[in-house]
Amino acid sequence: MLPLTELPPAAAAGIPRRRFLQGGLLGGALLALGGGALALGGGALALRSTRLVPVPPEGLRVLTPGQYAVVDAFVRRMAPPRPGFPPHEVVRTALNADRILAATEAGAQEDFRRLLDLFESALAGLLLTGRTTPFTRLSPEAQDAVIADWRDSGLALRRTGFQALRALAAGAYYGSPRVWPAVGYPGPPAALHDPAAPVWKGGGAPRPGGGLGGGP
Amino acid sequence: MSCAEAGRIHTGDEVAQDLERTCDVCVVGSGAGGAVLAHALVERGLCVVMLEEGGYHTRREFDMREDHAFPRLYQDLGNRATDDLSLTMLQGRSVGGGTTVNWCVCYRTPPKVLALWRDVHGAEGLSEEALAPHWDWLEQRLHIAEWPIAAANRNNRLLWDGLGALGYERHSLKRNVQRCVNSGYCGMGCPVDAKQGMLVTLIPEAVERGLTVFANARVLRLETRGRRVEAVHAQLLDPETDRPTGRRLTVRARVTALCAGAINSPALLLRSGLDGGGRVGRRTFLHPGIVSAALFEEPVNAWYGAPMSVGSRQFAERGDDRLGYLMETPPVHPMLGAIALGGFGLAHQEAMEQLAHVQAALVITRDGVVEGDEGGTVALREGGRRLSIQYPLRAHHWEALRHAQVELARVQLAAGAREVRSLHARPVVVRRAEDLPLLERAPWEALRVKVFSAHQMGGCAMGGDPARSVVDSRLRYHGLDNLFVADGSVFPTSVGVNPQQSIFGLARWGAQHVAAAVGA
Repeated sequence: MLPLTELPPAAAAGIPRRRFLQGGLLGGALLALGGGALALGGGALALRSTRLVPVPPEGLRVLTPGQYAVVDAFVRRMAPPRPGFPPHEVVRTALNADRILAATEAGAQEDFRRLLDLFESALAGLLLTGRTTPFTRLSPEAQDAVIADWRDSGLALRRTGFQALRALAAGAYYGSPRVWPAVGYPGPPAALHDPAAPVWKGGGAPRPGGGLGGGP
Repeated sequence: MSCAEAGRIHTGDEVAQDLERTCDVCVVGSGAGGAVLAHALVERGLCVVMLEEGGYHTRREFDMREDHAFPRLYQDLGNRATDDLSLTMLQGRSVGGGTTVNWCVCYRTPPKVLALWRDVHGAEGLSEEALAPHWDWLEQRLHIAEWPIAAANRNNRLLWDGLGALGYERHSLKRNVQRCVNSGYCGMGCPVDAKQGMLVTLIPEAVERGLTVFANARVLRLETRGRRVEAVHAQLLDPETDRPTGRRLTVRARVTALCAGAINSPALLLRSGLDGGGRVGRRTFLHPGIVSAALFEEPVNAWYGAPMSVGSRQFAERGDDRLGYLMETPPVHPMLGAIALGGFGLAHQEAMEQLAHVQAALVITRDGVVEGDEGGTVALREGGRRLSIQYPLRAHHWEALRHAQVELARVQLAAGAREVRSLHARPVVVRRAEDLPLLERAPWEALRVKVFSAHQMGGCAMGGDPARSVVDSRLRYHGLDNLFVADGSVFPTSVGVNPQQSIFGLARWGAQHVAAAVGA
């Protein structure tokens, strides 16, 4: 990772940080920063820690309790409370997100964990936007502003991060059948799926007849 | 040689110890390329072993739920994407490959595309005359026929009406279905086996004739010695967790055929130290496209009914220096819809509440044809296990996507849409034809608007000149005697139409060359 002391003089000379970051120079370093020791607080920045939420009794497979809290905070802004929309406690959105990540390859999981740490990090926040409060400790309005800042950033890496978080949140919430009524979706037609349909594997056995359609 | 044992489909959990198999041909992949090729080879009496990384999922599991279907039936849970996430792609990953989850559209390869491959890229033998008998056979066997406009769902009917109102070219698409019940769930696995994908047609037929299939078998690398592939090394995966069980499978075949698709075939070659002089994984083409979401007063219910049955070639040809594109429709279901639709928080929720009223239309752009359009790359990241997919979206792509967004919106408004929304992170909304320039002025830049691919092609280009291609005009890998590639990765450019029938045809045509290499 890039130590702060190695920032070029331009940054120290009062050039707005955000424009400076658009150079992409820090792109690779930013992700490392999120998980870096500096992000864990202490020192002159007096950084504050993540606001944790209760971890589900089933336990987590990929996320740490801190990362779970960041996902939980993010999904609450992706789908804020709204009549007709089931609450995240019912959908268990953040837990769904952990389970989705559990099915992805190890490298992708690691990228995601680093992204969440960066997204939460007060130090990264300070570098990028001048914010010194972890994402989970911000007011909902301030969280929305941070999210919009990532979405509209001139730094492609941050737009990538936004897209990754957004897709995970959307999949974890709207993938649940509990949300179908909110979006006017009646669900799949009844009587088409046969959960007892035979599974043919060959080996000399005769092939069974097909379903309602063409069949094998 | 014919196989000693009856054909069978094995799953990863059934393999209790390390296995070794000997056969005439090892086919890697079970999709449009692999299944057709394996079927044609067992027809010739050869002993074939097929390896498929995905699981063996059948209609018993096709419960039409997105949260079940995407993890089971798609690469990366449906989230396969370029490294920077600027382009996301739907690609199949189960027995049957893309044919288990595609939207059933079938086109013969356009003659102009075949001519381009011959004249510009030196691919010999892939003529209309040579392919026609194979296409005839496939069309009969897979019940490929036009889906009448009278049977179109409202999502497609509105595209049809809008095209008609403007006098634009429109046509009904051909679909590979038999006794289709018009459910609309082609993308989640057909619940009634009406879709004539490889899962219910050529694979079981080939198994009855002796084909052995190993599902949950991830090929790690090809072992080569001199000019020959000596062995194919695979690890078995647990069908439940998709994690390695620790069991290994080694296939020793006289000939090996890669049919793992345009992302995984190049990746496997690279993992095996075969980079084709630096050309493997180059010239990857994706038909990059956008989706336009229109709102109508009356419900559209685009989740039900054959998802893709109307197309337009109105802008298929836009001159030599511009990407042409085809207009079609995607289905709309909640999870994919939520990921695709722009906006955040309240704005996104308000759009989602209207989902029943959304008419969605899309384009696929024909990349790889315009001078200097080299497409993307597939490579290995450091460490060699993870894929890297890059696809730089350049000025000519953005020109076509911007043009397409305006024209899609024009068609949707002509069909009576109340408003049209782009899939920008901050959606652009238009309500009248006079507002269309707003769409032109939107930010057409990576990661500010959704760009999709459902078609992966290239990466192992076929051609006459070893200095410009990866496989020769008989699909044989340059420099090795017994390695072939028979899938969409051999296309020297994109096809410009939904590619499944092009891949079927290529594989059935290519079977003669693979069989000849066995000495059959």
